[in-house]
Amino acid sequence: MKKSVVSLTVNGSETQALVAPGATLLELLRENVGLTGTRRGCEQGACGTCTVLVDGKPMLACLIPVETIEDANVQTIEGMTPAQGLHPIQEAFLEGFATQCGFCTPGMIMATSGLLAANPDPSREDAVRAISGNVCRCTGYEAIIDAVLDAARRVRAAAQAKAA
Amino acid sequence: MLQAVARPRSLAEARSILGGNPRATILAGGTVVMPVLNCGTDAFDTLVSLRASGLSEVSIAGERATIGAMTTLSALEAQPELSFLLPALDAIGSPTLRNMATVGGNLFVKPPYGDFAACLIALGAEATIAGPAGNRSEPVEKTVAAPLGRDEIVTAVSFALPTAGTFKFRKAARKAFNSAAIVTVAAVIATDGGTVSGCRIALGGVAKCAIRARSVEAALAGKPFDRANVEAAAAEARNDIAPADDAYASAWYRARVTPVHIRRALIGE
Repeated sequence: MKKSVVSLTVNGSETQALVAPGATLLELLRENVGLTGTRRGCEQGACGTCTVLVDGKPMLACLIPVETIEDANVQTIEGMTPAQGLHPIQEAFLEGFATQCGFCTPGMIMATSGLLAANPDPSREDAVRAISGNVCRCTGYEAIIDAVLDAARRVRAAAQAKAA
Repeated sequence: MLQAVARPRSLAEARSILGGNPRATILAGGTVVMPVLNCGTDAFDTLVSLRASGLSEVSIAGERATIGAMTTLSALEAQPELSFLLPALDAIGSPTLRNMATVGGNLFVKPPYGDFAACLIALGAEATIAGPAGNRSEPVEKTVAAPLGRDEIVTAVSFALPTAGTFKFRKAARKAFNSAAIVTVAAVIATDGGTVSGCRIALGGVAKCAIRARSVEAALAGKPFDRANVEAAAAEARNDIAPADDAYASAWYRARVTPVHIRRALIGE
């Protein structure tokens, strides 16, 4: 078993890590880079809590051997959080009481981020679809779906304010 | 224990690794192989990732679509000529999973997964397979039913675009989104003056792999395309299926509801 060096851009920073064969992006983020906002859940692709953006698209970090995405651009919940305050999606989740134990929240927010990048004005069904791969055992989902729609409004408002 | 993840840059290189190591296995989108690895497995010691092998091109030429095996399901959603497949794609996993899961990988997943394979069978798709004697083609129906040679790789699938309105799809599942099939029905039904002039009907989730419902097809061919004939033909599915129990449904339930969902797929009621 030979370890290898992989290079990725994680939250805008070039990152190199020495990994064992088959090490997942999840392992690299949590154990090599120390970014523990991305949660380790089922490691089966069933719970969605490890969702991150890979080259802008939401994917499951537990299912990606990091050696296969050399040079990819990865964004995690830490990279989305501004130096001061919170991202509008995070604000929507916080103010909408869309988080209870918080374990699923980073994955929910990254899935929402992927949705809003592709569809800034989602319907309720679009919101349900976007988080359909993310399991929450606390909230019953309704508050999360409301937060996704509120996040869309906030992100649109922020984009308009920036353009003005 | 996993010894290596190979990232071949060409098909020839990938085939040579697979041919030289009986414990090497292909890694496509990872949505099925990686959960096995994450649980700890001795089933393979080398993963051969096809991500860098350049098999993700989609081309629509004339009336024929050719889809590289490493094309993700979400990439297909962006193809306007393939918009007839949107309801089927939407029924597979979550958008996040579809950003990873591939067309080629879907041919080799076990039930209750493999909805896209059922669509391809209904479309009469051919798989292009690279092997020791160069490329060969075979119906997808055959590819999903029997293992390939150790150093063979599905490189693409291709099918004739169906006439508008002739492709039918229905998946019965326990949730609206992201749930495995109780039964999946995909079909292409051609009619001429209200009579079925051609039909290809595929079922997923009710046998060892996605299958053609040949008894249903035979019973429907040449008949007026109405509820009575569709219902009578759908009942013949019992001769085609061999459903299993799983966490989603019992074999009994699958057998019981398959004809109902065939009818609903075909005539919408």
